[in-house]
Amino acid sequence: MADLTLQIDGERFTAEPGETLLAVARRCGRGASIPTLCNLPGLPAEGGCRLCVVSIEGEAGPVAACSTPVRAGMVVATHTAALEALRRDVLGMMLRAHPAAGRLAGDDGGRQSGEFRALLERYGLADPAPRQSAAPAVSATHPYLRFRPDLCITCRRCVQFCDEVQGQSVFAVGGRGAAVRLLFGADERFEHSPCVSCGGCVDVCPTGALTDVDRLRPGATGTAVRTVCAYCGVGCNIDVAVAEGAVHHVSGTLEAAVNRGHLCAKGRYAHAWTRSPERLKSPLLRTTTGFRPVSWPQALELAARELGDIRAAHGPDALGVMTSSRSTNEAAYLLQKLFRAVIGTNNVDCCARVCHSSTALALTMATGTGAASASYADIERARTIVVAGANPTVAHPVLGARIRQAVRRGARLIVIDPRRTELCEHARPHLQIEPGTNVAAFNAMAAVLVEEGLWNRAYVAERCEGFEEFAASLDEREAVVAAAVCGVPAEALREAARSLAAAGPALFVTGLGLSELVQGTDSVLALVNLALLTGSIGVPGAGLLPLRGQNNVQGNADMGAAPGTVTGYQSLADPEARERLRRVWGSAPPSAAGLTIPGMLAAARSGTLQGLWVQGEDLMQSDPNEAQVRAALTRLRFLVVQELFMTETARLAHLVLPAAGALEQEGTFTNGERRVQRVRAAVRPPGEARPDWTVARDVARALGADWRYEDPAAVMDEIAGVAPGLFGGLRYSRLEGDGLQWPCPDGAHPGTATLHAGRFQRGRGRFSVVRHQGRSEARTATWPYILITGRDLQHYNVGSMTRRTPNIDLAGGDQLVVHPQDAAACGLRAGEWAEIESRHGRARARTRLSDEVRPGTLFLSFHFPETHANALTGGQLDPQSQCPDYKVTAVRLRAINAGGHEAGEGAS
Amino acid sequence: MPQDTAQSRAVRSFFAAGTPPPDATAVCRGLSCELNGAAGVERRAAAAGPTARVHCFGYCDRAPAARVAAGEVLYGAAALALPRPAIPGAERLDVRCLARRAVVTERLGAGAHHDLGAARRAGVYAALEAGLAMGAERLLSLLEDSGELGRGGAGYPTGAKWRACATAVGPRRYVVANGDEGDPGAFIDRALLEEDPHAVIEGLALCALAVGASEGIVFIRAEYPQAQARMALAITQAREAGILGPAVLGYRFAFDLRVVSGHGSYVCGEETALLNAIEGDRGEVRVRPPYPARTGLYGCPTVVNNIETLVNVPWIVREGAAAYRRLGVAAAPGTKAFCLGRGFARPGIVEAEFGVSLREMVEQHAGGSRDGQPLRAVVLGGPMGSVLTPAEWDVPLEPAALRRHGIRLGHGGLVPIPASADLPALLLNWAQFMALESCGKCAPCALGSREVVDLVGQIGSAGGRRRLVELQQLLATVEAASLCGFGQGLPRPLLKLATLALGPGGG
Repeated sequence: MADLTLQIDGERFTAEPGETLLAVARRCGRGASIPTLCNLPGLPAEGGCRLCVVSIEGEAGPVAACSTPVRAGMVVATHTAALEALRRDVLGMMLRAHPAAGRLAGDDGGRQSGEFRALLERYGLADPAPRQSAAPAVSATHPYLRFRPDLCITCRRCVQFCDEVQGQSVFAVGGRGAAVRLLFGADERFEHSPCVSCGGCVDVCPTGALTDVDRLRPGATGTAVRTVCAYCGVGCNIDVAVAEGAVHHVSGTLEAAVNRGHLCAKGRYAHAWTRSPERLKSPLLRTTTGFRPVSWPQALELAARELGDIRAAHGPDALGVMTSSRSTNEAAYLLQKLFRAVIGTNNVDCCARVCHSSTALALTMATGTGAASASYADIERARTIVVAGANPTVAHPVLGARIRQAVRRGARLIVIDPRRTELCEHARPHLQIEPGTNVAAFNAMAAVLVEEGLWNRAYVAERCEGFEEFAASLDEREAVVAAAVCGVPAEALREAARSLAAAGPALFVTGLGLSELVQGTDSVLALVNLALLTGSIGVPGAGLLPLRGQNNVQGNADMGAAPGTVTGYQSLADPEARERLRRVWGSAPPSAAGLTIPGMLAAARSGTLQGLWVQGEDLMQSDPNEAQVRAALTRLRFLVVQELFMTETARLAHLVLPAAGALEQEGTFTNGERRVQRVRAAVRPPGEARPDWTVARDVARALGADWRYEDPAAVMDEIAGVAPGLFGGLRYSRLEGDGLQWPCPDGAHPGTATLHAGRFQRGRGRFSVVRHQGRSEARTATWPYILITGRDLQHYNVGSMTRRTPNIDLAGGDQLVVHPQDAAACGLRAGEWAEIESRHGRARARTRLSDEVRPGTLFLSFHFPETHANALTGGQLDPQSQCPDYKVTAVRLRAINAGGHEAGEGAS
Repeated sequence: MPQDTAQSRAVRSFFAAGTPPPDATAVCRGLSCELNGAAGVERRAAAAGPTARVHCFGYCDRAPAARVAAGEVLYGAAALALPRPAIPGAERLDVRCLARRAVVTERLGAGAHHDLGAARRAGVYAALEAGLAMGAERLLSLLEDSGELGRGGAGYPTGAKWRACATAVGPRRYVVANGDEGDPGAFIDRALLEEDPHAVIEGLALCALAVGASEGIVFIRAEYPQAQARMALAITQAREAGILGPAVLGYRFAFDLRVVSGHGSYVCGEETALLNAIEGDRGEVRVRPPYPARTGLYGCPTVVNNIETLVNVPWIVREGAAAYRRLGVAAAPGTKAFCLGRGFARPGIVEAEFGVSLREMVEQHAGGSRDGQPLRAVVLGGPMGSVLTPAEWDVPLEPAALRRHGIRLGHGGLVPIPASADLPALLLNWAQFMALESCGKCAPCALGSREVVDLVGQIGSAGGRRRLVELQQLLATVEAASLCGFGQGLPRPLLKLATLALGPGGG
C-alpha cells in the first residue's frame, strides 16, 4: 500500500486510505480551524455549506475538504487569503438569507448551537447590535422539541443525524434553490412524524433553530456534571446542566465510549421526576391510619430494632433483602454485606432474578462467566449480528440505533422474535417464532449447521467440550419438528442457519425474550450452542451481548446481590473467598445459599420470612402474579422500603425511607458490557432523602457494626479487596472518563473488552444438550391468546420516574398490541379499552392494532400501575434460575368501553 | 391512512417548481425562444388563461415554442399565433451532415426509423448482434480504442467509464441513458429519441453487455413527451422481437429497460441528480466521489451515458475503432451533432467532425444571422456554456482546444444573439433560470443565484457599472465555491453577457 503522506499548510501528515482531507485535518488537530456548518464527524460528507474549501496545488479551483479523498503527495493550503475571502462571502450569503440566525447568541439550543454565530464573529460579519430573540417556535405542540424556522439555515445536519445515526428519517429539505426549507413529518409537527425524541437534532443544529423546552428555559450556569443515565443497562454517559439547584438540561457526553453523545428520549428529557412534588422527603412510619413522618435517627433506630428483634426471635434466615438494580454498586454491596456479615443470612437477591438470571446462569454453566462476553464496540466490528428475544430500538434505543447503523453499513442481521420489531426491516431473515419456543428454533438451526458442515471445526476442537454428545442429540428432522413448534417454515429455519454461518463469527444480542421463560436457561444454553458452533465467543466483533434492562442490574449481581454467590461471583463455599471475607468483614456468611426473590416471597407467604428490606424495587407492579406478591408482603412482620415515590409496594411497608435518585448520589454503575462507570450527584436530593449507601451503613452501625465508610470511594476500595479477581484494579481514581470493564484484577490492568479470549473462564466452552419441553401455558379454547409483556420506548420499567415527566404526553398509558384479525374477532377497535384475563388475574389497556404480532399473540407493556399487567402473569418459574415466565401467559380478551364497563347494546 | 412523510413532501416540492400545472399554457423561456418572441407569446397566452414557464421543449431551431393545455407542443408561427388555434408543425427539422461519414444523423430526417421494421432494415441491431458475438472484454477494449468522448458536456472517455463500472464491485449493475437534454439550445437527443430510438436501445444494450448489467433505464425529461412515447413504443417492439428480455437476440444475455420520466428539473441532467430522481428522491446532485461507475443507482455500479454518446456506440462496433478515429481529431475522434438555433439563416442539426472551426460553422453552415445583421454573439453549449463574440470565433470545435480558450463545448448547441437582442432582458432571463433551477443542495449556488437575480435587476438602472463590479464578485464566489457544474458553470456566461449588456453605451 502506498504511503499516504500529504502536506497541509506546510506540515506533513499521514492519512488512512479512504480518509477525506477534513477527516485527516481533524485527526491531526487541524480540524477546528477549517470551518464547516454541514459536516458531522464520522458521517458521510454533505458537501453543502462549502465553507471547508481548501486549495490543492495543481488543481484549478478550491475543493471541499469534507468530500475530497486524500491522495498521496497532495499539497494542501487551508487558509489562503482567497479561501478566507470565499468563506466570508458564502457566510455573508447565509447571513443575508437568514438575518435572524445572525442576531442570536445561540445559547438556547443544543451543544453546537453557537457555531453559526461564532463563525460570523470570526469572519467579522456578526451584527454588533443587541442580540434578539427569535420568532416564536412552531411545532410547540411536542412535549420537548421546538423548531424556529427563521433561524434555520438548512444545513441539513439534522437530516443527516436523523437518517444516519438515529435511523428515523424525520427530516427532509423541501423546495429548491434559495427557497429550500426544513420539513419534518407530515406537517412540521414532531408528533406527526417517526420522531422518537432522541434530541440528537438539537445537539447538531448550528443555530439553535432546533431546540427544546429545557434549553429554551433561561438559567443554566456552571459546568455540567458528567454521570451515567439510569434508564437502562446501556449506561450512556450524560452531562447534566444545573440551574438553581435543579436539573436544567441533559446532553449526551460526546467523548463517552458508550454513547458518543447520543441519547434517547428518556435519558435526555425524562428528568422532571427529580422535581416532582410527589417525591418522598422524609422517613414515614406506618400507623393505623396511614403514614406519619419520623426523623432519620428514629427511622434508623426502628429499622435496626425490628431487624434485630426478628433475628433474635426467629434466626437470621427470617430476614431477607432485595437490593435495587437502579442504585449504585456501593449501595448494593453494603446492603448485601449488612445482611450477610451483620445479620448473617444469604437471603439476598435483586431484580436480576426476574430478568437475566437465566442468562447469567446459562452463561456461567457454558462459559464460566454470567456476563456479556463482548462489548458494545463489537456492534461496529461485527459482520453478523443475531438479535434474539430483544427489541433494542425500543428498550435500549442507543444500542438499537447502533445496530441499525451497523446493518445499514453492511452487517448481516438475523432476528429471532415473536414480534416484528423495528430492526426486522433489515433482517435476513426474521424468524417470527411462537413465544417461548426458542430452544426448538435454536436446536433446528444448530442441526442445520452440523448437518451441512457449516460449523467451525477448529474452534470447536480447540476450545469446546461436549460437542459429540450435543451433535448426537440432534436429528435430521430437527427443522421440521421445530417448524411445527415455532410456527415458522422449516426452510426459514434453515435459511437463518445458513445466514448465520455465512460470514464467520457472529455477535449475539439477546434480551428477556430468551431469559424470562420457564425454559429461560435452556433458551440461552441453546443459543450459546450456536455461538460455539460458529466460533463466536472470545473473538472481537462477535460474542454474547445480553442487553441488561436496569441501569445497574449487572452491578447488583456483581456485588453479590444473589443468594448463592458473594461479591464478584465467588462461591459461598470457596475457602479462599471465605478467608478473605473473614479478614475484611470480620465474619464469613453462612455457606448455604439463601432464598431467591420468588423464594423469599413464598417464605413470606408461609410465615417463615418475617422481615424484608426492599431497596428501590416495586415488586407489586413488576413481579409476576400480583395477588401472590400482595399476600406475601402483607403477611410480613416488618417491611422496610427505600423509595423515591410512594409505590404500590411502599404502601404496604411499615417503614418507608426516602431515597436519593440517580442524579442525586455518588457511586458507580456497571453497564451491560461490564463497564464500571462513575455516577455523580448533579443535584441534591429533596427534603431529607438520602443516598442509599449511607442508609445501609447507618443501620449496620445501629446494629453495632463498626462501619466507617466516609464516602463511596472507600466502599469501592473494599470491593476491590473482597473480589480481587474481577475488581482488584477498580479505584475511583481510575474510573474517570469511560471507567473500566471487569475483569480488572490489578491497578495496572486496562480492563477487559472481550471475555474468554484465548481461553474460556471455565476452561472450555461447554455444549449443552437441551430439548424443547412445551410451554408453561398453552392456548386453549378458553385462553386463546398468548400474551407477552415488555417495555415501550417512552417509559422505564414500572414508570415511577418517567410517568412523572412530560414523557407521559408522548405515551400516556400502557398499550395492548393486538393483530387486526384478532381484534376483529373480539369486536375491538383501535384505541378502545380491552380487558385481558388470565388464569391469575385481570388487566386492562387501550388497544393498538398492528400486525407486528402474529394472530394469536398479544403484547402488553407494564409501565402503569393501573394496568395491572402483572396481575396476569403467572407464578411459573424457570426451575434452574427461578426466573419468572413473563413472556408466555395464556389469556382471553374482550372489549370494554372507556369507563371500564362492558360494551353492550345499551352503551352509548 | 399512512401519514405523509417529510421525504415525500420534499420530493414533491422539489419537482413542483418545474412542473407546469396541467391546465396552463407552458411557454418556453429558454434561450432561443427568449430571443424569438417568447415573452410576447407568454403575455398573449396569459390574457387567455393560466400560463407557466418552462425551459426548452427542444425546438430551438423553430422557436418560440409553447405547450398548450391539451398537451401538444406548438412552435414557430403556431406558437406566435397563440392564443388563437393554429395548425401546428409546418416547419421541419433540417438535418445535414458535413462529416465524411455520418455517425449520429445517419437515420435522422430520412423516414420513420422509430419503427422497428424500418430501423432493422436500416441496419440497426446489426452492431448488437456483432457485440454479442464479440463478448464484453472485446467490447470494452473496442470502446477504449475508439477514443470516444462523452457528448453530454463533460467529455469523459466512454471506454474508461465503462471499464470503471465493469470492474467495480456490486450486487448488480445498471446502465442509464441520460435523455435529460436540458440545455436550451440543444435538441439532438430529442431528435434521436424520437426518430432513432432503436439506436439508443442498441447503444445501451451494448453498454450493458460490456459492463455486465441486466437492467437499463432511459431517463427522458418531462418536456419531451413525444420522445418518451416513441422510446416506450420502441422498447415494447424490441421486447416483443426478442431484442430485449431474458435472452437478447437468442444469446445468453438478459437485458431489459424502461423509460423513467423527469419532472421538470434542469439539474437532473447532472448524472448524480438524475440517479436521485430515478430513485424517487429529490433531483439534487450527490457529492462525488464516489462516482456512479462505482456507486450509482441504488448504490450499485452504474454507467450514465448521454443519448448521442450511446448512438455513437453501434457505429463504432460496426465500423471499428480505426474507422472512428479517422473522423475528427486525435484528441476527439468522431463527429458532433451541432444544434443551430432559429436566429441563424439555416437552423437545424449539422453533424460535423470535431475540429471544424466555430467561425466556419456560424458563417457558412449556419449561414450567419437570419436577419442579415451581424450577430452580437453566439451562445455555445447552453446556459453553462460560453457567450462568444465574433472576434472569438476562430477556434476549432473540439473539447481540448476549446478548453484551452476557457470555452466549454457543452452539448453542442449554438444559439445566435442577434444585433437586435434586448441584452438586459436576456441577462435577467438567464439569471432567473439559474435561480429557478438551482437545486438547493449547496449554499453558494442556492443563495447566490437569488442574489444574482436581485443584482441583475439593478444593472439597467443608474449605477449599473458599480453593480457590475458587485456582480463580478458575487459570480466569482458562486463559481469557486459551488458543488457542481451548474453553480460552477453559470457564472462565466452570465458575467460575459452582463459585460456585453453594459458594453459601449451601457449604464
